[in-house]
Amino acid sequence: MTGAYDIAIIGGGVVGTAIARELSRYSLKTVLIEARADLGDESSKGNSALMCSGVDVPAGTLERELVRRGYIRYCAEAPGMGLPIRKVGAIVLAWTQEQEAILNKDLVDAHADGFAAEALDSAEVYRRWPHFGPGIRGGLWLPDEAIVDPFSTPHAYALDALENGVEIRRSWPVRSADRMAQGWRLHGPDGSLDARCVVNAGGIRGDEVDKLAGYSDFAIRPRRGQYMILDKAARAIHDVIAMPAPTPTTRGILITPTIFGNVLVGPTAEDVPDRDDRRVTEAGLAQLRQAIATMAPALAHQPINTIFAGMRPATQFREYQIIPRLSQGWLTVGGIRSTGLSASLGIAEHVAGLLIPGLFDAPRKARTRQITVPDLSETSQRPWQDVSRVESDPAYAEMVCHCERISLGEIRDALASPLAPKTLNGLKRRTRAMFGRCQGFYCGARVQTLLNAQSSAH
Amino acid sequence: MAGDVSPRVLIVGAGPAGLAAAHALSRQGIGDILIIDRDDAPGGLPRFCHHPGFGLEYAHWPYSGPGFVKSLLRDLKGADVRIECRTTLLSLKDGPEAQVVGPSLGLRSIRPQAVIIATGIRESNRGNLAVPGGRAEAGILTTGQLQQLVARKVPLPQHVKSMIIIGTEHVAFSAIWTARMAGLRVKAMIGCEDRVMSFGPIGALARACGIAVMTNSRVREIETTHGAVTAAIVEGTYGTRRLPTDGLVFTANWIPETAALLGGPVAIDARTGGPQIDQAMRTSSAGIFAAGNVLHGVESSGWCAKEGHHAGEMVARYLRGEIGGVRNGAMVQIAEGIEFAVPQFWDCTLAHTAGMRDLPVNLRMKQDVEGRRIALKAGDTMIQSGARKRLLRSRRIVLRPGAIAVPSAVRIRLDVTD
Repeated sequence: MTGAYDIAIIGGGVVGTAIARELSRYSLKTVLIEARADLGDESSKGNSALMCSGVDVPAGTLERELVRRGYIRYCAEAPGMGLPIRKVGAIVLAWTQEQEAILNKDLVDAHADGFAAEALDSAEVYRRWPHFGPGIRGGLWLPDEAIVDPFSTPHAYALDALENGVEIRRSWPVRSADRMAQGWRLHGPDGSLDARCVVNAGGIRGDEVDKLAGYSDFAIRPRRGQYMILDKAARAIHDVIAMPAPTPTTRGILITPTIFGNVLVGPTAEDVPDRDDRRVTEAGLAQLRQAIATMAPALAHQPINTIFAGMRPATQFREYQIIPRLSQGWLTVGGIRSTGLSASLGIAEHVAGLLIPGLFDAPRKARTRQITVPDLSETSQRPWQDVSRVESDPAYAEMVCHCERISLGEIRDALASPLAPKTLNGLKRRTRAMFGRCQGFYCGARVQTLLNAQSSAH
Repeated sequence: MAGDVSPRVLIVGAGPAGLAAAHALSRQGIGDILIIDRDDAPGGLPRFCHHPGFGLEYAHWPYSGPGFVKSLLRDLKGADVRIECRTTLLSLKDGPEAQVVGPSLGLRSIRPQAVIIATGIRESNRGNLAVPGGRAEAGILTTGQLQQLVARKVPLPQHVKSMIIIGTEHVAFSAIWTARMAGLRVKAMIGCEDRVMSFGPIGALARACGIAVMTNSRVREIETTHGAVTAAIVEGTYGTRRLPTDGLVFTANWIPETAALLGGPVAIDARTGGPQIDQAMRTSSAGIFAAGNVLHGVESSGWCAKEGHHAGEMVARYLRGEIGGVRNGAMVQIAEGIEFAVPQFWDCTLAHTAGMRDLPVNLRMKQDVEGRRIALKAGDTMIQSGARKRLLRSRRIVLRPGAIAVPSAVRIRLDVTD
């Protein structure tokens, strides 16, 4: 497969897809390429799924600026794509005088920078959240912090980009890159493509992608985060983003509801040598259990649905590594460590601003096409709750995944959609099927059958 | 679909308990029965178990799983029973009022005179058990999932050729059977107890088939490479061992399926995780009965069918006005060493009901206990005691108290005695 493009974006995670969506607004020929069979299959699939206002990102950094901008844009644009947001708020907790001092300073800073924040004393914290563990001296209430759907977000961005003219290639790992008179030739599994400019949004492999072009400004220092997902009953007890006050050594483990109606505990923060080492360890689980025991002991006996680990693409630097080598036609968007989901639309805007009009004098398109993705959130109206929808299409009345109540119709729609999932995990992320407490005991075989039928039909 | 489709009796779950309940009801002359099941065919878990040993206590014949299902369905020929598959119970309220959704019923509330909950049970998976290690696209399973994959002819990935079975209860041997039928080599079975929890000779048979049976052992970590299982790291008195394998099957650690009951009026027993009932299978909400594995850690399909049959008879009595429709009587207190007992409540007034046959008390021990017996007492009076014997963990222990003719105010207690 060959082709000539203005821009090739390498990496179909939340950052790469956001950039693709942004660039689709301009009269440019853009291609998004992803090594894996499904989009959002690396760092974007294993994170805390928070939409952060930026209040807890160090001031004066590009990261702060882009998280803040990303948050504003996400709140404005996500609903139009069908993406859910629940502004549940965050409470940062202090057990020690040292932590209290940190929170007091954070409160002053937050107000100075125009963020919503409120100091709560111990009594008020326990009044609002009586299930919290003992010894809390006070907390910082951040009402704007939100939870979102981390899986549908990159999908929605990619679908939007596709609808607006971006070509998307999956299962297309870039094997090598040759410098051309104008731009780069990228070699993949079935040929090559030419692009005047390459945007490296390679995430956890961003340094390896840069090396293909001979750059080595940073190295990925993979930071593993282990998580535990508690069953839905836990949300009746705990429905707020809770985290300890950060100390100089650790940012701490948070306990948060998920948009799918569960409670998430994590992440640990471990520097690991192997960027694919997404192992859950006994030590990690012990840390998560300790966090529950300290913050919300009432959750200690709630059933666990699953455990997993995500990998943050940290580098030796604390700041994002956005390196525009415009004269060489290579723009690196690296080191988007743990705020990528929140910052994605801010990063995309920033990247577009670097390329246009600096490198491309491309006009903004007069019209863009709107897309919507299914709202998978627990608190939205599910298709089976809609009498008219169920009557007009009985497939929405037939549950396949019983724990999450995902219907045959929803799975069928995902498999028939543009950018249809290619793997079982891809299908899970697109529908929520098999996400629940039984993890496929009841529906695993049927879901696999549906996926296989689709694959063999193609 | 328009109009009221409320049946006289709604049975939730078309497994052995639900099907046998329908049979008992129709033999009692009760018609207009609707059975719903959320799967795409009736039968419950046995329909995926293609090996003998099903239905013994009920049909007195060691059917295969699907064979037993067929016989239960045969019993319903000509009965006024309608089975709607692909249909889910969403919630259950006092009334009883059931919200259901399915392709032929749509989304609707139905108000039957009685409901029998027979929603069964599932196994804990790796995530529920929080077993550390890597993740794999395929190969980390439960028995139920493996059996469905095989029964639905879903091929496992090429590289998956061997399995390790976690657990040593009866179901673990069902997993071994299924894995071997699917052409997988079963390398080991691993149990945390000091013995095989199923029948001893079956463990010996497994060993004879070349399966390493490792007791006092637990999986410390699942080793994966590039999304495929490569080994289980197992820990025991011998230290730590790395057992190469392409997959693991987690068996047992049963969890009753009560999703539709949560937040509703049917009280759940913290010990079993299922509805609390009295010996007439009545729950805490009038007209709502329960039977089968939703009540307890796993029982054989034959036992579940017997419970279903009993529930059917009790519902018939309720509909004829012979007994009330809500759980009644005193809560059975249980001794420290007992894990759970079903029924949880004993209604002494039922003893005066003509022709009443009670559900036996079915209990499980927390640990193996040597040379003791179970006694049912009302106050200080012994009602019934079992034989003095080894009381084994994870095995059914049954007492048949018959008619307890004592005032219901007296405390009823299950004890472990000499």
